[in-house]
Amino acid sequence: MNHNIKIYFWGTGRTILLIFFFLLVVLPIYWMVITSIKTNKEIINTQEVTYFPKKITIDNYEQLFKLYNYRSMLINSLIVSTSTGLCVTILSIFGGYGLARYKFKGKDTMLLFFLVTQMIPAILVIIPLYIIFSKMGLINTRLGLFIFYLITNLPFCVITMRSFFERIPYTLEEAAHVDGCSTMSTLMRIVLPVMFPGIVAVFVFAFIGAWNELIAGTIFINTSNLWTIPVGLKSLIGKYDVKWGVLMAGGFCALLPTAIMFAFMQKYVVEGLTAGAVKE
Amino acid sequence: MGLLILYLIGVLILCVAGIIFISKLSRKQNSSTKNIKLKRRKDPYLFLLPTLILLVFMFGYPLINSFIMSFQHYNLSTPGNIYFNGFDNFKKLFSDSDIWLIIRNSFFYVIASVTGQVLLGLILALTLKKPFPFRGLYHAIVFLPWAFSAFVIGLIQRWSFNGEYGIINNLLINAGLITEKIAWLGTPGLSLLVVIIAMIWIGIPFFGIMILASMQSIPADVFEASYIDGCGPIRRFISITFPYIKPTLIVTILLRTIWIFNSFDLIVVITNGGPANYSQTLPSYMYTKAFSSYDFGLASSLGVMLIVVLIVYVTIFLKATHYNKAGDF
Repeated sequence: MNHNIKIYFWGTGRTILLIFFFLLVVLPIYWMVITSIKTNKEIINTQEVTYFPKKITIDNYEQLFKLYNYRSMLINSLIVSTSTGLCVTILSIFGGYGLARYKFKGKDTMLLFFLVTQMIPAILVIIPLYIIFSKMGLINTRLGLFIFYLITNLPFCVITMRSFFERIPYTLEEAAHVDGCSTMSTLMRIVLPVMFPGIVAVFVFAFIGAWNELIAGTIFINTSNLWTIPVGLKSLIGKYDVKWGVLMAGGFCALLPTAIMFAFMQKYVVEGLTAGAVKE
Repeated sequence: MGLLILYLIGVLILCVAGIIFISKLSRKQNSSTKNIKLKRRKDPYLFLLPTLILLVFMFGYPLINSFIMSFQHYNLSTPGNIYFNGFDNFKKLFSDSDIWLIIRNSFFYVIASVTGQVLLGLILALTLKKPFPFRGLYHAIVFLPWAFSAFVIGLIQRWSFNGEYGIINNLLINAGLITEKIAWLGTPGLSLLVVIIAMIWIGIPFFGIMILASMQSIPADVFEASYIDGCGPIRRFISITFPYIKPTLIVTILLRTIWIFNSFDLIVVITNGGPANYSQTLPSYMYTKAFSSYDFGLASSLGVMLIVVLIVYVTIFLKATHYNKAGDF
């Protein structure tokens, strides 16, 4: 009897917690979506806050695309993030393989260097890079932004890729070598197909890292037709007037791609996140 | 001129990649073993070369620049007037009356955010440990904030805590907890709290994922033995689960602390440091100094100070763990 009560107690506690965490994630998003489909009059109403719109409208979304040129922000974000994702993935396959499969002089220093790059505040690099970029004519170009995202995402992805490579038994490669494969064709034909989860995870890391970044974007890009989504939306926060409906609509559109990506790749991403730290 | 250098670097990287590719594909299988060994020894460097070139030119070099700038009078609004001024920047920095407030803010922000993330992440992992219906779907939803942009989260937070139209005030009034609307973002102390809440919210999934993964690596027979011995859930957590997840916990907390310390996009979006620097942290202050007054020298000296703090922290971290075993940061 006592035992049953205990089980019941822990079971209910767990259900309550599950609901709590669910609401914790869902409610802010609900509020964002609800705000984005309200009329401006209903949003800015000091008397009452409605939990569900009295009148559903897509005005905010229309304004977003027509008045604020959201399409171009979307395209810029896509270009920069996709190219960052692709380049980081390719470079970290090479780097990760080199770190996982070879013992060489300076390996520990290199790893330390990668680790240190992750600990240095980005703003400390952005400031001198701003000067360097303006001398090179890279301010106000997508190329400059891409380079910055490349270097900020690369070290972490190389190390993640390394731990993915380390999970694959070396005997698999040895067999290929015995059969007469070169290092490169072993990598291409044997290792990469097995590495698929790792590759997906690294791509998602780099893509999301670039997609979500705000600070470097605001510093490196000044012309409105090159703005990425966060930079463009930030410009909508005026000093006296904030268009909350449009902002929430824009924010929701910005979350959608990463959310969908994460939902489908979740298994790989989780594997990627835990690849290094869990294993001793 | 500048673009030319860049193209050269790009071409160089492509060339290196090309050379690796061709040399590997065309390697003759019947070449002498000594030759192969020699080539093998170069392999890792070739594989890592593109990454290293990029990082040295675009990360190492700016960093050195930043260090030099901290001892210079370097203001973008007076170009051409750049000279070394010794420790003037540092003196200026500490004569700023707000600097101690900002240092205090930084520590409070980091400690409160990390504590909140760890505790809630741990509770989340414990709730998710045993299977339940629709577990996969639930995971996908609960871990979602990991993929979200801090910028958008900041927007939602700023909107929800809006003093006049915000839903938080409305909910609190309806629940009878407060009678007057609170100006969350305009009150010293409260504005930083709003930022911290957003930061905790974003970080829960990460800790949840890490802790859950390390819990799942605990061998099942240990738990079976505890059931047979009649062990209660709390005792089981203290004596079995916690010791097993401790290494992961330490590494994750240490690395996450640095990450939180460095990140300030939430601050920029939600409060922009206000009111009157009450929610400013060291990195966000550095950003403000650099790109509103264009005093790059002063900002860089602030950066050097950040580095010193981080070096102390990292040294402790490297002592406490094996850094090359830590794949995630």
